[in-house]
Amino acid sequence: MNFLKYIFKRILQTIPLLIIVSLISFFIIRLSPVDPLAELRLNPSISQETLNKEIKRLNLDKPIYIQYFSWAKSFVKGNLGYTSAGEKVSTKLKERIPNTLLLTLVVIFMTWSVGIPLGIISAVKKETAFDRILTVLSSVGMAIPSFFFAILMLIFAVKTGWFPVGGLTSYNFNELGFGGKIIDIAKHLILPAFVLFTISLSGLQRQMRANMLEVLDSDYVKFARAKGLSEIKVVFKHALRNAVNPMITLLGFEFAGLLSGAALTEYVFQYPGLGRLILEAVMKSDINLVMASLMMGTIMLILGNLLADILLMITDPRVRG
Amino acid sequence: MIEALKKIFKDKFAFTAFIILAFLYIVILFADFIAPYSSTYSDRDMSYAPPSKVYTINEKGKWSFPYTYNYVREYEPALMQTIYKQDRSKKYFIKPFINGHLFGVENGGKLYLLGTDINGRDVFSRLLFGGRISMTVGFLSLFVVSPIGLLYGGISGYFGGIVDTLMMRFAEAVMAIPSFYLLIILAAILPSGMTSVQRFALIVVILALIGWAGFARVVRGMVLSIKKEDFVSAEKVMGASNLRIILKHILPQTMSYVIIAMTLSVPSYILAESGLSFLGLGIQQPDASWGNMLKEAQEFTNILYRPWLLTPGLLIFVAVLSFNLLGDAVRDYLDPKSNSQS
Amino acid sequence: MKKILIWGFIFLLLGLCAKFCIRRDIPETYPSSVHNTELENINYPDKNKNVTLNGVDYLQSQAPVGVFGGELVVSTIGEGPKTFNPCNSKDNTSSSMAGMMYDGLVTTDPITGEVVPQLAKSFSIDGNEYIINLRHGIKWSDGKPITADDVIYTYEEIVFAGLGNTATRDMMMIGGKLPKLEKIDDYTVRFTTSKPFAPFLRMLSYQIVPKHYFKPYSDKGESVFNAFLSPNTNPKEIVTNGAFRLKEYVAAQRVVFVRNPDYYKINTKDEKLPYLDKFVYLIVGDTNNEILKFEAKEIDVLGIRGSNVARYKLKEPTSDYVMYNLGPDTGTMFLIINLSKDKVAPAKHKWFSNRDFRAAIDWAIDRKAMVQNVAQGVAEPLFTAESLNSIYLNKYIKGHPSDKNVARESLVKAGFKLKDGILYDSEGNRVEFDLYTNAGALEREAIGVMIKQDLEELGMKVNYKPIEFNSLVNKLTNTRDWDMAIMGLTGSPLEPHDGKNVWQSSGPLHLFNQRPADWNIDDRLDWEKELDEIFEEGALKLTFEERKPLYDRYQTIIYNQKPIIYLYSPIRITAIRKKFKNVFPTPLSGLLYNLDEIYIGEGE
Repeated sequence: MNFLKYIFKRILQTIPLLIIVSLISFFIIRLSPVDPLAELRLNPSISQETLNKEIKRLNLDKPIYIQYFSWAKSFVKGNLGYTSAGEKVSTKLKERIPNTLLLTLVVIFMTWSVGIPLGIISAVKKETAFDRILTVLSSVGMAIPSFFFAILMLIFAVKTGWFPVGGLTSYNFNELGFGGKIIDIAKHLILPAFVLFTISLSGLQRQMRANMLEVLDSDYVKFARAKGLSEIKVVFKHALRNAVNPMITLLGFEFAGLLSGAALTEYVFQYPGLGRLILEAVMKSDINLVMASLMMGTIMLILGNLLADILLMITDPRVRG
Repeated sequence: MIEALKKIFKDKFAFTAFIILAFLYIVILFADFIAPYSSTYSDRDMSYAPPSKVYTINEKGKWSFPYTYNYVREYEPALMQTIYKQDRSKKYFIKPFINGHLFGVENGGKLYLLGTDINGRDVFSRLLFGGRISMTVGFLSLFVVSPIGLLYGGISGYFGGIVDTLMMRFAEAVMAIPSFYLLIILAAILPSGMTSVQRFALIVVILALIGWAGFARVVRGMVLSIKKEDFVSAEKVMGASNLRIILKHILPQTMSYVIIAMTLSVPSYILAESGLSFLGLGIQQPDASWGNMLKEAQEFTNILYRPWLLTPGLLIFVAVLSFNLLGDAVRDYLDPKSNSQS
Repeated sequence: MKKILIWGFIFLLLGLCAKFCIRRDIPETYPSSVHNTELENINYPDKNKNVTLNGVDYLQSQAPVGVFGGELVVSTIGEGPKTFNPCNSKDNTSSSMAGMMYDGLVTTDPITGEVVPQLAKSFSIDGNEYIINLRHGIKWSDGKPITADDVIYTYEEIVFAGLGNTATRDMMMIGGKLPKLEKIDDYTVRFTTSKPFAPFLRMLSYQIVPKHYFKPYSDKGESVFNAFLSPNTNPKEIVTNGAFRLKEYVAAQRVVFVRNPDYYKINTKDEKLPYLDKFVYLIVGDTNNEILKFEAKEIDVLGIRGSNVARYKLKEPTSDYVMYNLGPDTGTMFLIINLSKDKVAPAKHKWFSNRDFRAAIDWAIDRKAMVQNVAQGVAEPLFTAESLNSIYLNKYIKGHPSDKNVARESLVKAGFKLKDGILYDSEGNRVEFDLYTNAGALEREAIGVMIKQDLEELGMKVNYKPIEFNSLVNKLTNTRDWDMAIMGLTGSPLEPHDGKNVWQSSGPLHLFNQRPADWNIDDRLDWEKELDEIFEEGALKLTFEERKPLYDRYQTIIYNQKPIIYLYSPIRITAIRKKFKNVFPTPLSGLLYNLDEIYIGEGE
């Protein structure tokens, strides 16, 4: 019962959060001098009448707070509105979310399956040459501007011809068989996933190392060692479980972080993901699209955190108290 | 203090990183003197000129004082190609302390150590001037972030209860907006009628506006545990004002975290500036920053044929890596068990 | 062990130092241009003919007969199409995608630029009467015949009713009246304009849409019609009449078209065109990505600019592509000065409205250096309001080289004084203003840096401010609080009347002197008034010979008054894989206008 009450309380708490986020972003975007109709205005063949119609359609002639309320009203009703180009925001999001989920999951899988073991090893072999070199190597990945790394990777793809230059599927995708389709997507995913992987690996590896060090330093591990258990047993049986627990909290953040951190990478790789969509929308001040995707991002973040908390409660009964 | 430094520098990587960073900062501090040209100097006839070749062995095979030749531009209409050829009629010797600069060549000579950009500006000189912006933007932001974050986190953590809940909800909302998009939106809002100095200052503030919430949250957590300690209650009994307790007794205790946060977040600010520049929202022409110089380099033919334009990318890499390594060592020293990721 | 590593490291460093510091002076060698790169003369085929077979009026291509099959992949920069509705497209990408699927009554001859029949079999003009004869027996992609009813529906219920993009309707509004349209029989219609109107015939290139497919949506009003044929429409249900039809659209990735098996164009062997099975647009984000895709052979056609040209030119003889020079671009790039009175500070307004001041700027700008540095030689200086490949170009405007002394004289004439290298006006104000352009575009930013330098040599202080594109447009069209800006506009090489929104004082794009809504028509400057008249008169004259002097005059006015100072025109260089045959590029229509005739063949 307690458990359900807790979850209910958490969900209730997110409502003010969503309101604040939407208020902040809406007003900031609308205060910017960016004109969502710029391209239309500069097109010599677009008439004033067409422009006026567009201005009316986008509510640009009303005061900001009215724009906000009309947006909020339709959002609550589940209507995400139309983009400044007249497409349905919901369909645009639907097109992109699966792609972003795919990339994000692949990257998270890669970083976790590499970062966690590396973190453990460097914690166990603390301050040896191995630990140091590992830290330096993972720092290297963090030190290259992501867009630049992505461009270099694309040039690598061109020069070797091993990988396609950006995108998610080849143009003859639909004529491929099932296996061919999977191989095609995998080929397209490797480079962007690799770039994001290199960037986010070091954070995870360091975190895991720090957690592990803390646990290895704790009384019960010392006790286990004193009992004469082998080091491997100590690490894997006793320390590991407790060190991984706090990492679960990270998952939620990492998920939301990739959504935003992947924007430039997606942009350079022409990956049809949410990050690139938001980036382009923000640059054009396409308010309905930006708001909808920011809300999606926030909800995803909250859900991620909630899930992580629930997971923690299940794995670690201490948290509930 | 010296003890601390000694301990940190026992780590070879941290020491090397420190030396590199110190070198970079000294060089950009004296950029006006070291750079052979000003950041706006441009040579119309030398757009995308390759680096000047400096010779130390002359054509007869004998050692010589370093010298270089000028380039002459030719246009090949059939190939639609611009070609730079050496003008071998006159040698220009590189001399120290010439024309008020550390080194240079006599009048009439051109010395482009790292070639020129599209406007015929010396890349080497612009690197130094650009470094001034790129290497300081992070620190300046932190000077804006830290007071806000400290005070906000301090007040929230100290008072607790409803104040804490409200303040933290707001901070969480700011954190929930993906920071990169917030950055873009804010950068686009910057009033366009600004000088580059103002623009630089505002980018600093924007970077700060995004960073404060996370910072404040960690500070709050620390304050929460500090305030339970005895000396705080003792102060309270003695009738010290709340603000005084926060400023004088609680916040100083968080100093080590502030230092860690500083060294760890400077690199992310450098990278953020380059990302903004990539989208055309960072430091604007004609001013130089490593980010906007790198933007020019990322064109395909520039990467293939004009590798000297990539040097800002190399410097970003070196600076960020050095900051990371130094940051690791500082954190290990101050707070070996820290979980804090900022 | 450790020591060895450290020593090794030190040696490595020393070695690197030596590599960079010690260099022997050996004369460099340069590649010499050996191969001849003259663009070959293209043997254009004869004009299309009308041929009637089994009661169907086909359009017969006279190009060499090719082989069926294969695909052509091109790229489009941006976010991809926003609609497939040809009547509602407001951006270039959407228009060209819709243009693949829908043909208009007439089209432009790619070589001469004259109007020739397309979906129409023929047309005849008698004063202000236009009689259009349609082809018998041609069909929509669902098998229904294309008749006069479709034409009447398209014009009356979509264009004249103001649905979708109203540009064509506004252009057809002559003296406040729309043309009259009558059905003479199932295959003949007649347009009657209220006055003879020169640009009218070319406007009939508006795509004809199927009544039976469109009407249910257009009847439901504007909002339904605007959402109709959105990119997510099931491709199978779209009814078309163009050479290609939609196969699939994958958001942010590609648009795939397949050949329309029942197209009304045939080759000389009476086989139905097009040859290609598939035509694919890859949606890419920027030119850099486009180039990479071309390098990786993912796309077959590439527009090349600036410094990239040299690379491809050099590799051309050994590569699988051939390059064509399509001549100067149809768009223009310029420095524009804000002459409007109400939003510019009075002192600045006084400078800007002084013709000699503007002339000084024109003389100071070094176009040659821009061409050499920014465009790497692949451009030509521009002095006229019409682009260099316009058939209405005023060839008497020769332009002038940059000369700072002439510029200084002009400033003295205008009453400015130079003191210690700083320019003051006659009232002692320092000459200082803002120069805007859109940030993020390498070329524009570099041009801005050059203009700033040129003008500062005259003693002016230029605050150069690249800002985000959409903010810049907002400034130019809405808030109007700017001094000077570097901009570009697209243009038409065939119809100068398309620029009326820019040149007429009431036009929404009259950027250099935009006025508040309640302005008085008597406020017009003398030359603005003359421009208004020229554009009104030019549209009413019917022959090229009558119109040319008028449009020559407008270019002379702009050149003399210099509210807009033109900079340069990039030269369009395009590469296409050699395997594609029947490629007959023209400066007016580009490379792929005859997509239905292009086929994949072997050999050179």
